[in-house]
Amino acid sequence: MFEQLVSKLPVGIGIVDEAFNVVYLNDFFLDRLPHELRKDYKEQPVTELFKGQGKFLKRRLKSVFVLQHPSFSYWEQRPHIFPFKSSRPITGEETQMYQNMEIIPIKDNTSDRKLACIFLQDVTAQASYFRAQQKLSQALKKEHAEQRKLIRKLDTAQSQLIQAEKMASTGQLAAGIAHEINNPIGFVTANLDTLSQYASHLLAICDGVESQITHFTEEMQEQMQSLFESNHYALLKDDITELIDESSEGLSRVRDIVENLKNFSLETADGYQNIEVCSVAKQLITLISAQYAKPEYKFECAKEKLEVIGDPGTLKQALMNVMVNAAQAIEDKGFIKLSIIENDNDIAFKILDSGCGIAEQNLKRIFEPFFTTKPEGQGQGLGLSVAYTAIEKHQGKVSISSKEGKGTVVQITIPKSPPQSFSTDNSEPATEAFSK
Amino acid sequence: MSIVLPLDEDQRDALQELLNISMGQAANSLAQLIETKIDISIPKISTVTPNELYGLLFETKDAFYTRQSFLGDIHGEVMSVLSQSGLVEVAKLMDYEEPLTKEDIQEIILELCNILAGACLAGLSDQLELTTNLNMPTLFQPEKSNFSDLQWQHTLVMEVQFIIAISSFSMRVVFCLDDESLIRMKDTLDELLG
Repeated sequence: MFEQLVSKLPVGIGIVDEAFNVVYLNDFFLDRLPHELRKDYKEQPVTELFKGQGKFLKRRLKSVFVLQHPSFSYWEQRPHIFPFKSSRPITGEETQMYQNMEIIPIKDNTSDRKLACIFLQDVTAQASYFRAQQKLSQALKKEHAEQRKLIRKLDTAQSQLIQAEKMASTGQLAAGIAHEINNPIGFVTANLDTLSQYASHLLAICDGVESQITHFTEEMQEQMQSLFESNHYALLKDDITELIDESSEGLSRVRDIVENLKNFSLETADGYQNIEVCSVAKQLITLISAQYAKPEYKFECAKEKLEVIGDPGTLKQALMNVMVNAAQAIEDKGFIKLSIIENDNDIAFKILDSGCGIAEQNLKRIFEPFFTTKPEGQGQGLGLSVAYTAIEKHQGKVSISSKEGKGTVVQITIPKSPPQSFSTDNSEPATEAFSK
Repeated sequence: MSIVLPLDEDQRDALQELLNISMGQAANSLAQLIETKIDISIPKISTVTPNELYGLLFETKDAFYTRQSFLGDIHGEVMSVLSQSGLVEVAKLMDYEEPLTKEDIQEIILELCNILAGACLAGLSDQLELTTNLNMPTLFQPEKSNFSDLQWQHTLVMEVQFIIAISSFSMRVVFCLDDESLIRMKDTLDELLG
C-alpha cells in the first residue's frame, strides 16, 4: 500500500545509493523520463540519467552523504535541475518545469545501507506567478520613474512660467517707470543747461563789476567789497560751475541707466535675430554695477564686435542672472570678470568672480528650480534654472566650477547660429558640475 | 546586563559544554566537505531583547543574512550572518566556477548556512537526545524587518563564529529558542545533570 502511495504522490521521489545509482524513482520521475530509459533506469547513476545538472546533483548528493544532513535547492537560484517539461505542454506559458529540490539522508532498514532521497516539487505555477508579479512591479517602477521625470519637467516648466510672468511684469513696470523718468529728466537736463549758461553770465557780470571797482567812489567800493564778502563770492564762483557740471554728469548717468533698463525690458521682438554680444555685455555691466557697487567689474573681448543669432531676451536674461549671482557672491571686496571668447562655431561667455563660492554638495543642485541657499524670502531659486533653460533653448552648454571661499567660474557656450532647427523640446544641454 | 539568564549556572555550564562539542562537529563537517581548515569561536550564550538581537546581527558589516526555522522537540530559528569578503574563495572550494552570478552567490550562501546550521543543530540535538528537523533556509533582510514589533520579550541566544583560515571569510550562526522550548531544554539539561 505504501509503495503505491509513494509512487502516486504529486512530488518527485527518487532514491539513490552512495554511488549515486538510482534505487527507486516514483511515477512523477518515471512519467517524465524519455521512453527508452524507462525500462532500465535502475542501477544507473542519477547524474548520467539527468546529465544537464549532473555536476550540481553530484555535489549536493555528496554533501548529503558526507554530512548526513538535508540539502535544499530553490527555483530562484537553480530553476531547472531535472530537464522536465512543464505540465501544460499545450496551454502553458512556461516550457520548462520550475523545481524546488530537497535531498535528505535515509537508511535502508534491512541492509543498513546509506541512501539519499530526492524530493522534487513542481513550482512552475508559483514561479510564473512570481515572475509575472516581478515584471509587473518592474513595469510599475519604470512608469513611476517616468512620471517623476514628467513631474520634474512640469516643475521646471512651471517655474519658468512664473519667472517669465515675473519678467514680463517687471519688464512692463520698468518700461513704464523708464518712460516716466525720461520726461522729468528731459526738462531737468534742458533747464540745467540753461542754468549753466545763466550762471556763467552772472559770473561774467560779477567779474566785470569786480574788475571795474577802482572807478567807483571809496564809499561805493567799500559797500561792494562787503557785498562780495558777505555772499562769499570767491567760494561761490569756484563752486558753482563744479556743482552744475556734477549735476549734469549725474543726470547723464541716470539717463544711461534708464536707457539700459529700457533696452533690457522692451525686448518685444520674439524670435531669433542677430545679437551684438559685446554691447550687450557692456550694458549688462553698467546695469548691474548700478545695483551692486562693491565688486570691481572687468570686461574682456578680443574683438570690438561679435554677433550670434539668438533670442535677445532670454540670452540677456541668462547672462544677467549669472552675473547677478556673481555680484551677490561678493560681500565686500572682489572682482567680476566677464570675458567673451570667440571659437570656430560658438561663442563662450566666461564669468569669473572672486566671491564666496558654492559648496560642493550644492553644486549639483544649482540648476534645480527653487533651489537656493539664500535666506527665506530673499531668493526664489529661479535665476540659474531660468538661465539653464535659456541656454538649453539656444542649444548651448553651461558648466560651473567653484571653490568655497575662492570663487566661481561659469562658462556659457552658445553656437553662433543655432544648428538646423530652432525646436528645442528634446535637447538638453550637457551640464557638468565639478569642483577644483 | 540586568536581565537574569533563564538558565542557572550548572545548566549554563552544561549547555556551554554541549555547544562546544556540537559546534566542533559542525566545523568538522564543513571542513570535510570543502577540504579546508576551519576555526571556531567559543560559543556564547546570552539572553537578548529583540533590539539587542538586531544589534547582534548587525555587528558584522557588509553581510549576507539567512534564516531557517527548526521544529521537533524544540522550536526556534537559526539566523546566519555571512561576511561578503572571502566568499569568492569559499565558492571555489565548493566547486563553483567563476564568474559567480547573483544566483550562484545566493545558492552558496543558502548552502553554507544549511550545512553549518544543520550540523550545529544536529550536534546539539544529538547531545541533548532531542529530535529536531531543520526547514529550508531563506535569504533574510533584517534591515527591512521591524524588530521592535516582535511579540517576545527575551530569547535565549547561542552564537558561534566560524572562520575559514585561508580566506577572509567568516560566518556567525545565531540560534534562538522560543519560551516553550527553553523550558524543555532546561528540563533536558537537568536530566543530564541529575
